[in-house]
Amino acid sequence: MAGIFIILLFGSRAEAVDEYNCLMCHKHASMGRIDQNGKRWNYNVDEFLYNHSVHRNIECRDCHTYITKVPHDPVTQKVDCANQCHIKPPFAQDKFSHEKIIAIYNQSAHGIGAEDADVLKNAKPYCKYCHSNPMYTRISEKAVPYRESLQRCFNCHPQRGVIQAYRHITHRLRKKTSRSSQEIVPLCATCHQDVALMRKLNVSERALTAVESYNRSIHGKLVQLGSQKAANCISCHASNALHDIYKKDDPRGTIYKDNIAKTCRQCHEKTNPWFIKIAVHPSEEHGGNPIIYLVSIFFRVILYGAVFSMVGLMLFETFGRWTDGIKFFFRDGTSWRGQSKRRSRKEK
Amino acid sequence: MSALSKTVSKMMEIGARQKAEAAQYYTHVDGVGPVPRDIYKYVKSDPLGDLPRYSVHIVIQHFLVFITFILLAATGLPIFFSDVFWAPYAISFFGGIDTARLIHRIAAFIMMFAAAYHIITIVGGTIRKIRRHEFDYKRTQLPRLKDLFDLVHDIKYFLGREPFRPKMEKFMYKQKAHYLAIIWGNFVLIAAGSALLFPDIMANLFPETLGKILPLGGVDADSYSAFFQDLARLMHADEAVMALILLAFWHWTNVHLVPGRFPVQWAFLTGKITREHQIEEHFLEYLNNLREIPEEREYLKNLLKDLRIDSAKTLSTDDQNASSSEQPGESGEE
Repeated sequence: MAGIFIILLFGSRAEAVDEYNCLMCHKHASMGRIDQNGKRWNYNVDEFLYNHSVHRNIECRDCHTYITKVPHDPVTQKVDCANQCHIKPPFAQDKFSHEKIIAIYNQSAHGIGAEDADVLKNAKPYCKYCHSNPMYTRISEKAVPYRESLQRCFNCHPQRGVIQAYRHITHRLRKKTSRSSQEIVPLCATCHQDVALMRKLNVSERALTAVESYNRSIHGKLVQLGSQKAANCISCHASNALHDIYKKDDPRGTIYKDNIAKTCRQCHEKTNPWFIKIAVHPSEEHGGNPIIYLVSIFFRVILYGAVFSMVGLMLFETFGRWTDGIKFFFRDGTSWRGQSKRRSRKEK
Repeated sequence: MSALSKTVSKMMEIGARQKAEAAQYYTHVDGVGPVPRDIYKYVKSDPLGDLPRYSVHIVIQHFLVFITFILLAATGLPIFFSDVFWAPYAISFFGGIDTARLIHRIAAFIMMFAAAYHIITIVGGTIRKIRRHEFDYKRTQLPRLKDLFDLVHDIKYFLGREPFRPKMEKFMYKQKAHYLAIIWGNFVLIAAGSALLFPDIMANLFPETLGKILPLGGVDADSYSAFFQDLARLMHADEAVMALILLAFWHWTNVHLVPGRFPVQWAFLTGKITREHQIEEHFLEYLNNLREIPEEREYLKNLLKDLRIDSAKTLSTDDQNASSSEQPGESGEE
């Protein structure tokens, strides 16, 4: 036990795997170029950040496979996250790869389909759009029952042996390694809040205002105020596979009409067929319902009516009693210390 | 001849009016004598209160509601106005949103307990009074037509058209309106708040029971639960904001900052009302006090003796007497 802690404490200081000495050049902060269009490219790799990322044990060339010699030719290819790298997960026969999750992702609403229009193809996010290394440096940690967090591991790792490996060796999986709700909502909002872009992509009317309406709901309000319990975007729109985000009318989606009950039941244990019809994204301020609109008018009338009539009556009363000779303070056991200024009584 | 009869009838008219005015002005109380309507200007009062008004139960209930209401408003407002700049600070004051929600629920349950406690007190006290044959609906919060006339009378007094305020019971029109508003507000807040706290149970309950009875314009059966949830969201927030504004701008000012009560009316602590306040705004309740409290009877008898008001004046229609009786003490009038 003590040995594990020593390894955990000091083992993490190991340097990045750099067999081909890529950092010899890429460690320089000024490593970069300006292309023909005047765009600046930065090729610097921060060793500290990289050493603390989840990919710290992966060789550069495991992802950048097109580099075969040093110094290398100009890079034209993009990194493919579906590559097999040289890491072999415990109890597995094959080398590790993200291809399973990418297969799920390609099926989802965000995956690029062959029939998509060019504008849609350009707008769809790819792996690096959401997952960038600096975001892995600090994560908010929260204890999660291991059976829950293990569900996510099975996306990539074979099920057999993972539980033993997890219980005996890994420490970091004991903590929730996903981003907090406060990071996820702004991340999804970067595109989904952009109404002009969304309109270009022909999304539905309700999806246009999805972020706005979510922020109006109790889930959105609680996340805005820092709640770790309230549902964020992917709590409802994805399962444990995290990338299987589908449109509402896709039977595989978590928000398909037959699947909503199961999705809600993750938090609301007493979910019933009526409950799932409550609007999670309240569409308008009053739901577009005439009765609710009338009720809101009614409340507003009562509010202003009550406040102005009661405060007005109070001021009027104070004026009336003041002219009849009352003073604000008690003195010598009475507050009726003044002269009445009433005309009607003087005439008598 | 006709001129003479006219004069006589005019004099009789004046006499009748003065008689009526005197009857309005004086109230005869057994064992005390004639009590003038404006005696509140001459009595001495203890600012902490002289006469019983609220039992200790009512004082405790008021405190429970007072404290829980402030807690509820402080934790509920930042959730409703979650996008304003001060909301995160208000929430962090309570130790995070999850704690703030817990505090909101605990405070809500204490407030509901106070409401139940109040109902038990009122029902129990009423039954006890009925058994002792002491119950008088005029001394309760039940609204009457007289309250409307009292309001009109009071407005005339504020304008200077009436010499005195109306003779009112233990609870005046203002207090009855406030009491009804609190009953309504509690009902709305508890019902809508429960719908927000237990959306799954309420979603089942409302469509199954109410949804089929109520006519819902433009709402199809499929969205009953969505409709009721939207309604609960609206009503809980609007009612709470209304209650908060009314309490902050009217209740506190009206109770503590008006003449004669400034800077603090101590009734919320002592449960007692000052003598001059009781006579001015709750004259009929003061007559009940005189009947029930011998010390108060004694006090007023001695006061009237000092002011030289005796029982003969009650019945007198003499011009001189009537005018002199209008200015006992040093009420500087010609």
